This record gives sequence, C-alpha cells and structure tokens, in this order.
Amino acid sequence: MKRTLAYLSLLFILGVLLYVANPDYGLKFGPGGKEWLSLRYTDDYYIQHGVQEVGGTNIVTDIVFDYRGYDTLGEATVLFTAIAGAVALLRPWRRDER
Amino acid sequence: MNCRGDDMGVIVRTAARATIPLIGIFGAYIVAHGHLTPGGGFQGGATIAGAGILFLLAFGLEEMKKRYNKSLYSVLEGIGGLTFLGAAMLGIGVAFFYNTLWHNGPFFNGKPGTLLSAGFLPIMNLAVGLKVFIGLVSALTWIALYRRWRE
Amino acid sequence: MIQFQFITAFLLIALGIYAFLAKNNLLKLILALNIIDSGIHLLLISLGYRVELNEIPTAPIYTGYETLKSPMVGPLPQALVLTSIVIGVCVLALAIALTINAYRHYGTLDVRALRRLRG
Repeated sequence: MKRTLAYLSLLFILGVLLYVANPDYGLKFGPGGKEWLSLRYTDDYYIQHGVQEVGGTNIVTDIVFDYRGYDTLGEATVLFTAIAGAVALLRPWRRDER
Repeated sequence: MNCRGDDMGVIVRTAARATIPLIGIFGAYIVAHGHLTPGGGFQGGATIAGAGILFLLAFGLEEMKKRYNKSLYSVLEGIGGLTFLGAAMLGIGVAFFYNTLWHNGPFFNGKPGTLLSAGFLPIMNLAVGLKVFIGLVSALTWIALYRRWRE
Repeated sequence: MIQFQFITAFLLIALGIYAFLAKNNLLKLILALNIIDSGIHLLLISLGYRVELNEIPTAPIYTGYETLKSPMVGPLPQALVLTSIVIGVCVLALAIALTINAYRHYGTLDVRALRRLRG
C-alpha cells in the first residue's frame, strides 16, 4: 500500500514536470532575438564585454575565474575538504595497526 | 592464476605504456590553453587524473605504491590552493579577484588570443588543474589501498 | 517542436527518485544520486540554448573566424554547471568512502540492516 502510494506520487511528479516543459506554459527551449535579450541580459553582457574586460577569448573561463571568482574559491575549498575527509576515512585505524 | 601481481597482464600493460603519455600531453594542452580554447583547469586536471588512474589499473597497486609519495602529494595540493588564492590577491588594492595583470601588469597582458594574455587566468588554470589532478588520484589510490596496508 | 531535452532531463530525475524509493543497496543509492545530478545538469545546460532565425549558435568562444553577427549560446549556465560537476565528484568520493567504512562495520550494504545501531 505504502509502496503503491509512493509510485503514484512519483508519476504525479513526472506529470507536473512534463507539464512545465510544455513551451506554451513553462520552460522555453531556445528563445531568440529580442526575447533572449530581455530574458538573459547577463549572458549578453558577458558575451559583449568579456574579452575586453578580462582578456580570455573563452568566455566560460572568464566567468568561472573572474566574474564568479568567489564561486570557484568556495568550490576549491569543497574539493579540498571532501578529498581530505575521504582520505581520513580510508586511513588505517588504530585497531588495525598492531 | 598468479596471486602476487595485481596488474592486468602484458597486453593491457603495453597498451597503457603507449597511451598514458598521449593522454597526459593532451590534458596538459587543455590546461595550458584553458583561456583560448574549450577546456580549462578542471577538465584538463580530470583528463590527467584519467591517465593516473589508467596507470593504477594497468600496472597494479604494487607499482603505484612505489610512485605515490604521500607527503609530496599533500604539499603539491597545498601549493595549488595557495597559488590560486595568491593570484586572486594580486589586485587587492582595488578589489579581491581584480585582474590587475591584464589591465596594467608587466606580463600576461598580450593581445587577446595569444598564449601570454588574460592576466591571472593561465596561473589559475595551472593551479586548479594541479589541485584537481592531485585530489582525484589521491582519492582513487586510497580507495584501492583500503585494508591492504600490511602487505 | 517537441522539447526532447527537457523530457529527457525530467525522465532522468524521475528515474533517480524511483531508484531512491525502490532500491535497498547503498551503492545503488549513490548511483541514483548521480543520475539525478546528470538530469539537473542537462536541464540547466538546455536552458542556455538560443535559436536565431536561420543561424546555428556556436559555443561562447571567440576564435577569430566567426562573422560579426553569429549568435552564441549563453555562457552562464555552462559555468555554473562546471562548478556543479566538480561538487558532484566530491560528494561521490566522500560517499564511497563512507560506504566502504559501513560495509567494514556491518558486513552488509542493505539499508534495512544498516538501520540498527551497533557499537
């Protein structure tokens, strides 16, 4: 009974998400022209001014390391902490060393 | 079946010996040209880590334990992180993450599209690539080493 | 136009949630987490696409060969997904380490057996 209810709720979630994907109501795939400029002016700014302000011709690298540098700093911290935690969990335990 | 060696046989070892330098060179190209072509620090570091994991799979744990130096790898990961932070600190007079090398620096300020351009972006690419490579290879080596310390 | 990208992304997310509900092995739960991650990445990348009149957009990289008016896809979702992929790898490594330790402690990976507390 509980399991059937869970699967029914899963089907409900999938139906709602597919309804959202309908272009008439929800998410749009690939608007162009004026609509793109009004919805995504941040992307347009990066494309127009990225080479002049940062210098790299790869706009994604410009965003990752310069415009959104704090994100990359926190992400490097997460990488360091996760690897340190994994290595600390997999070290020999004190009980095993004798 | 030979219990001593845990490598994957002579065919895989020969193929790995031929392909590991190529994978490493391609990863180094991705890291070094991260500000010009598709790619960057994370992707190139993951590619070089793929070469390291191929070495671990093909040649076995015994060979990897001889090459893997724990203190050296810890120091290299620290150097990568501190280089990233230091490159971000260069323009601290204006703001954190200010690209002062590109606007008025002595070097790395060439024409856009050349290798020595884009301020601190190549330095950060190298630092992050080193960090990702060390992290992934260390994690996979320690997972493979689990409960085999005594041998 | 049928939007296959969004449908694939939502199918991946629903598949991951189904695996979370139905499976009992701990390693399969980690795989389900990664499948949900892939679906979200596909969804975010698809949102950055752009259709001009009869031009196919290129990657946001200036190579010196494009014409003046050639459109580019949005670079911001790609940068954020790049960050998210690395976070996913970190979570995977930590989860694998915890799973190995749980197997060593309990001798099984079944989540119904793992619920009991044991010194």
